[in-house]
Amino acid sequence: MLLNRRNSGDRWRIRPDGPGKVTGGLAYLTDLTAPGMLHGLVLRSPHPHARILSVRTEAARSLPGVAAVLTRRDVPGLNRFGIARQDQPVFCEDRVRYVGDAVAAVAAKTPEIARRALGLIEVAYEPLPIADDPELALRPEAPQLHPDGNVLHSKTFRTGDVGPIFERCARVVEETYVTPRQMHAYMETEGGLFVPGENGGVAVYAPTQHGLMDRLQLARILALPKERIRVVSSPIGGSFGGKDELNVQPYGALLALATGWPVKIHNSRRESVRAGLKRHPMIIRMKTGTDENGRLLAHRVRIIADTGPYATLGAEVLNFATEHAVGAYRFGCVDAESISVFTNNGMSGEFRGFGGNQAIFALEGQMDRLADLLGMDPWEFRRMNLKSPDEPGPFGQPIAKTDGLAVVWTAVKESRLWRERTEGASAAGSSGLRNDKDRLPASEGSGQPQKAEERSPWMKIGIGAAMVMHGAGLGYGIPDPSGGRLALRGDGKIEVAFGFEEFGQGLLATLELMLIERFGFAPGDIRIVIGDSDAVPDSGSSTASRATSMMWRSLGLLQRPFEEKLLRAAAEVCGVPARQLRLGAGGVWGRESGERALSYEALAGRLAEPIVCEASTSYPVSDTDIVGAHYLYAYAAVAVKVEVDGRTGRVRVLDQFHAVAAGPVMNPQGYLGQIEGGSSMALGYALMEEAAMERGKYATNNFDTYLIPTIADLGGSVEVWPIEDLPEGDEHGPRGVGEIGSVGLAPAIAEAVRRAAGVRIDRLPIDPARLQEALPIGGMAVMSDDR
Amino acid sequence: MSGTVGMPASTSTVWHPRDASEACRLKKRFGSGAVYTAGGTLLRTQWEAGQRPEPAHLIDLSGIPEMRGIRTEGGELAIGALTTLAVCRRDPYLQARFPLLAEAARAIAAPSIRNLATIGGNILSAVGDSLPVFLVYKARLIWREGEAERAEDAEDWLERGGEETEASVRLLLQIRLPLDDSPEKAGRTFGFYGKIGRREAFVPSLVTTALTGRIAPDGQLRGVRLAAGDGKTVPRRFPLTESRLEGAAADDGAVRLLHRLLLEQYKPAPDPFATAEYRKLTAANLAASHLWQAIRENAGRGEG
Repeated sequence: MLLNRRNSGDRWRIRPDGPGKVTGGLAYLTDLTAPGMLHGLVLRSPHPHARILSVRTEAARSLPGVAAVLTRRDVPGLNRFGIARQDQPVFCEDRVRYVGDAVAAVAAKTPEIARRALGLIEVAYEPLPIADDPELALRPEAPQLHPDGNVLHSKTFRTGDVGPIFERCARVVEETYVTPRQMHAYMETEGGLFVPGENGGVAVYAPTQHGLMDRLQLARILALPKERIRVVSSPIGGSFGGKDELNVQPYGALLALATGWPVKIHNSRRESVRAGLKRHPMIIRMKTGTDENGRLLAHRVRIIADTGPYATLGAEVLNFATEHAVGAYRFGCVDAESISVFTNNGMSGEFRGFGGNQAIFALEGQMDRLADLLGMDPWEFRRMNLKSPDEPGPFGQPIAKTDGLAVVWTAVKESRLWRERTEGASAAGSSGLRNDKDRLPASEGSGQPQKAEERSPWMKIGIGAAMVMHGAGLGYGIPDPSGGRLALRGDGKIEVAFGFEEFGQGLLATLELMLIERFGFAPGDIRIVIGDSDAVPDSGSSTASRATSMMWRSLGLLQRPFEEKLLRAAAEVCGVPARQLRLGAGGVWGRESGERALSYEALAGRLAEPIVCEASTSYPVSDTDIVGAHYLYAYAAVAVKVEVDGRTGRVRVLDQFHAVAAGPVMNPQGYLGQIEGGSSMALGYALMEEAAMERGKYATNNFDTYLIPTIADLGGSVEVWPIEDLPEGDEHGPRGVGEIGSVGLAPAIAEAVRRAAGVRIDRLPIDPARLQEALPIGGMAVMSDDR
Repeated sequence: MSGTVGMPASTSTVWHPRDASEACRLKKRFGSGAVYTAGGTLLRTQWEAGQRPEPAHLIDLSGIPEMRGIRTEGGELAIGALTTLAVCRRDPYLQARFPLLAEAARAIAAPSIRNLATIGGNILSAVGDSLPVFLVYKARLIWREGEAERAEDAEDWLERGGEETEASVRLLLQIRLPLDDSPEKAGRTFGFYGKIGRREAFVPSLVTTALTGRIAPDGQLRGVRLAAGDGKTVPRRFPLTESRLEGAAADDGAVRLLHRLLLEQYKPAPDPFATAEYRKLTAANLAASHLWQAIRENAGRGEG
């Protein structure tokens, strides 16, 4: 059944944070102010690579209205940060390695004074040669960014020697795929309010995907015990992976502590572009061979990722890309080698899809090319080579068994779009008509209706599809704990607390619906506590499509003890056996009477202490020794129809179908939103988004040149078909869908474009110039009489 | 603005003249330290991008009555320079008589910006997406300098680069478009406007073209006018192409000719997002495809 509002019935709910967001009433953390608040700004390097000869701050300090000017000398603790590896300077010491590198920070009474003060800081640089090409950066003569060289990380996965096997292959496809630096483009740029506390600590009101990790990192930098740092981290105006790492928090916290006053920092869009993370650009070379019947025999993968100047999660992204470059197929023999390279380009890091987007664009491209070479239907070719449920994961690791691959494959096979492709349905014309309206001559229309292909012979339609197998959780070798807390508080509210964050994905709505459906609570009974390090248990990061799974698992663990405690307490108050009572909307109900025995408020009023249950758990992990290998996967297949205008080479997406097998749908609106939103991001990735850099500097500094899709680009229909079945005995429940929607559309568009325009796409975003034809008017049929 | 770090608070003095003469006097007084402003949408992006500083004096034109309104005057349609793009898009008379202008207005920026941005401002940017339309519609620009009014063909103005100097005092009051109602022009008229960017809407132009003309009853092309430009290239007409098409048979040969000549004559500049070749070919393809459509529809009508 398609997932939409109508089919969702009562489960389609107004999200608790919805009214505040659509009315603008909700205050984001970057909207906060405090009396006496100072304004912070960060001085960043103008050079992609330079030696710092000196930093002089006297003039800036003496400017009236300036409260503090900080440099590397003012960091009491570790002058480094990084979730996985702390190698990024808070303030640079003797060298800057990219145009976002921080050298100093200022707090002043007004933003104008702060800006003037930045201009008064004198930094003497000696520009150094730059490494702006990851392949060149690997050469010995390249400028070296770090003492250990320019390699952040490499990953190898090899099951045998592919060389001799390729010689036996009947068909071999070798291709190089190039993917762009994509920007998260969250609406709310990085920022926050930083308030010094009386105990020498600091309260940090700044978005992040993992408040407790920020607290840990800030404790290192500030040399403070964690307990003296409070991190309030939700609500967040979008993140998509881009705010998991620290951004402005070190500067805000240091300035607040140095001045003793609250400090606000809020990046301009330009500063956000310059300093912030992007999706790793990758160059992926694949060589893949089959036998005469189309059985895959060998797969060689070489990935080069441009990770920018510092680590953040570059190594983990590379592991993920390597795993997903093998993906869902039974290859016979695999030889994958990947490398993540330091450059003086912008910072690359975590981004929805986490390296899978690049890898699967390449992998699915191979499948389409091979099928073409074999003269096979590309979807049948995939089926022949897809792994069965009993087979191990991409790295040969044990994985949770599901039919995910087969069911999403079948859903696309039977979809309207795929039938249109294979059966050559004539619907192409009607779509062409609809989309051609905008391009009609502005003078008079034709007197008689014409078929689109006659009126606009340059418009070409194509349909393509792609498979996605997407790992969730952090993977083997990385601690992945989680947990949650349920309490009946003194005011009668059922309080649920998780260390997760709400950045627009709908976590609050999903959690509320889970509580309503699992426990029978009414929305008014519930108070949700997230995003405050002083108030939440450790749930781990809101990342890696893990939050929904971990909430489901934690609530499963909490349900029985919490219900028992509440019912036992209610039984005592009511003087009836607990077994005759149940939890429900507004209070405790008699099972037989069908009447409410006691409100939660009344129950709470009779308790000496609140009832509190905590659960600790951990994301399921594979029994393997391969770091990063996943255990739980979600599966998707995407079919898409596009229209290519041969005059301009421009591609329009007309129609999308997404089949997603990720277990039960916890929140229909959230699930649909994730797939629609993710696919919009993939559409941008495929067709227009690229944070272009020239010699280590961004050529796209704002949304006037870095283009993301608008509603005009997203006009076609998007159908989402969730497949909720899990094998009997599966104990893992819902798999997260936060990322999977962002992966498959780009390779599907590439294939659809190939069908439409006959051009194979090996580089994103698709360059319209490659699809353009000179005078693309087929069979010109207007002749004058004398011819 | 309050509280937004990274954007300077405005330090300009804002003046509100009540007529064009007063506006010109203010501009004369402050010289290049003053900037005329109407919708202010382009200025704001230029300030924000550091392309020009915020001036000491802003002269707000929004209170000047003679720069407002759309009316017919002596065989011409006079469009006040302060007319917003939103009005250009919606005005029924404009839509009926000058549909390409309504089309162009639809293709510029986004709704919220079109509510503020004026047609005069789009013209004075010299690379506005409405300009190709004014070129094919033979627009005249009506300027006011002090008490003197002067008319100038939009084409002449653009040929000189279209840029007003920082100190230039003159004000664009109106744009006038000829209302050509002569009955002897039989046959079928056609017109086309196209803007191509890197996405479907709210995007700088890579190619903007406008084409008008007529297929006479004898099957010959008459009065073809063609213009092209983009967000960085000042638009121009293509007189050689137009004259070669004058009297040519409305058939595939004319389409090929238009395509070939435009490829030869259009000289756009590249940027990091599109090559000159792409822009050229796109302009030629768009113009040719629409001439082809016009010819084809005309042929279909003749047979029917």
